[in-house]
Amino acid sequence: MTNNKIYILGERALVLEITQGTLSQEQQSKLFALHAWMREQKAFIDIVPAKTTITGYLMHSQDPEYWLDKMQDAWQNIKPESYAPTVHTILTHYGKHFGPDLESVASLTGLSQSQVVELHSQCRYQVKFLGFLPGFAYLGELSSELHLPRLDSPRTHVPKGSVAIAQDLTAVYPSESPGGWRLIGHTDTVLFNHNLDSPSILQPGDVVKFIPSTEGIC
Amino acid sequence: MLTILKSGIQACIQDLGREGFRHLGVSQSGVLDPLAAKSANILLNNQQETPVIEITVGLCQFKFEKPTNFAITGADLGAKLSGQQLAVGWRYHANQGDTLTFATSKTGLRAYLAIQNGFSKLSPVMNSYSTDLQAEFGGTNGKPLNDGDVLEYETNTALSSIGAALPEYTDTIRVIVGPHIDIMSKDKQQSLFEQNWGVLPQSNRMGVRLSSKTDFTHNISIASQGVCPGTVQLPPNGDPIVLLNDSQTTGGYPIIGQVIEADLRQFSQLGAGQTCKFLAVDRTQALQAKTQQLQHIAQLEIAVQHHNKKKHD
Repeated sequence: MTNNKIYILGERALVLEITQGTLSQEQQSKLFALHAWMREQKAFIDIVPAKTTITGYLMHSQDPEYWLDKMQDAWQNIKPESYAPTVHTILTHYGKHFGPDLESVASLTGLSQSQVVELHSQCRYQVKFLGFLPGFAYLGELSSELHLPRLDSPRTHVPKGSVAIAQDLTAVYPSESPGGWRLIGHTDTVLFNHNLDSPSILQPGDVVKFIPSTEGIC
Repeated sequence: MLTILKSGIQACIQDLGREGFRHLGVSQSGVLDPLAAKSANILLNNQQETPVIEITVGLCQFKFEKPTNFAITGADLGAKLSGQQLAVGWRYHANQGDTLTFATSKTGLRAYLAIQNGFSKLSPVMNSYSTDLQAEFGGTNGKPLNDGDVLEYETNTALSSIGAALPEYTDTIRVIVGPHIDIMSKDKQQSLFEQNWGVLPQSNRMGVRLSSKTDFTHNISIASQGVCPGTVQLPPNGDPIVLLNDSQTTGGYPIIGQVIEADLRQFSQLGAGQTCKFLAVDRTQALQAKTQQLQHIAQLEIAVQHHNKKKHD
C-alpha cells in the first residue's frame, strides 16, 4: 500500500524505510505510532527513528524474519492517530550575544531580526529524531523563508543551550560541542541530564514550541 | 586501591556497553573486545559484565595499594608485575606495593585489565559503567584515566594460578553485505572482498577508517538512518569506515556492509598501518560464529569453576 522497503541489516537490525525524500505528516505520525508499537513488543534493545527510517535492534538474532513480518504487518495496519505527542515549550533569548548569527540570518534572508524571531517562534516543531549528541533533537519543519545552509566553517565551541537553524531544521545544543548550525538564540532549559532515569527531555515524536523571552531582541 | 602512576596513551573504564538509549543519541560505548573482557572477569570469578580497564597502545603504569587478584587479556602489551613478565590470559596475585607496567606492541593494540570483584566506588550512568569519551559521562567522571587517579577495590587473598586459551585474533573479517551495496558495480562489489584494506591513522573507538588502492569514490548520499557498531559506511571519498562502539547513532553515508558480531572484536587490535580483508558471509554463518563464541565463554566458566572447586576439596 505504501512505497516502503523493509529489510534486515546485519544479524538483528530491522529497518523500515519509506522511500521518499520527506515524509508527509501522516507518514511521520505512523512512524511514531510504529515506534510505540515496537517498544511494546519488548523484543528490541534499541529502536532508532531517523529521517525516513526506523531501525529496531533485536535482543536476539535467532529469528529476525519472524519479527520482520510482524513489523511489516504492524506498519500496514497502524493508525497515525494512535500516537499522542508530549508538547514542550522552550523559553528562548533571541539575538545579541545569545544568538550571534541572528543578524547575518536576517540579512541573508532579507528579513528583519524581529521577523526571523517571529517566523522561528510561531511554528510547532516535531522531534523528527535524535542523534549527533546525546539529547540533540532534529526539529522540523522550519519555515521555508529561514532555510539556509550550514556555516562554511563550523564553530569549534557552540555553547550548551544554543538555539540553532540549518536547512529545513532547527535544534537546541544539549551540551557544548563543535557545530556548524547558525545560532539565533539561547535557552536555559536543560535538555539532557545523564543522571536522570529519563535523561532526555525531548523524545522522538514530541512537539516543541519556542517562546521568545522579553530580554531578547523583541 | 589502584593508583594510576602513568595513564599512557589511553586507558578507560569500560563494561559491556550502554543499551536502550540509542533513540536519544547516546552511543553504546563499552569494551571493543567483549570476549577478552568477559574472559578476564571469568578468570577472577567475577560477573562477566564487571567493568574493566581498556588499555590502548600501553605505556602505562599502575600500583596496587592492597593485595588482590587480577587478570590480563587482549593483546600482549608486554605487561610486567614488579619486573616479572606476565602472560596474557592468566590470573595473577598482586601484593601491596606491586607495580604493574605495560610496554607496547607492534602487532596488538588493546589489553584488558580486570580486578577481582571489580572496582568498588564507580557508579553506573544509564545502566552502564562505560566511559562515554565524547559525551563525557560514565566511568571516572566521563574521562579517560589520568596520572594520579585512584580506583578503589576490595582486598583479596591469593587465588591459585589459572590461565585460559583465547581464540586468536585474525585479519579476516566476516561481513554481511549491506542495503546500499548496489551503489557500486558488481565488479566493484566483488573487489571489496578481494582487497587488502589498510588501517588509517585517524581510526579510534568511534570507527576504523580503511583505505585501498582501488577507487571506490562515489557521489551518493542517503537520508540519515540508524547505524551501530559494525556498520560499514562508504563516504564519497571511497575509504570505508567500520563503526565501532563510540560511533554516533545515525549516519548519512551509504551502508555497504555489517561486520558480524563475533568478528567486530578483531578491530580492537588493528592499528594504523595494519591490514585486513573482508569475507562475505550470510546470517546463518554469523549466528554459528556467535554460538561458537558463547560456547567458548560457557566452557571457560565451567573450567574455572571446576578448578576452584578442586582447590577447595
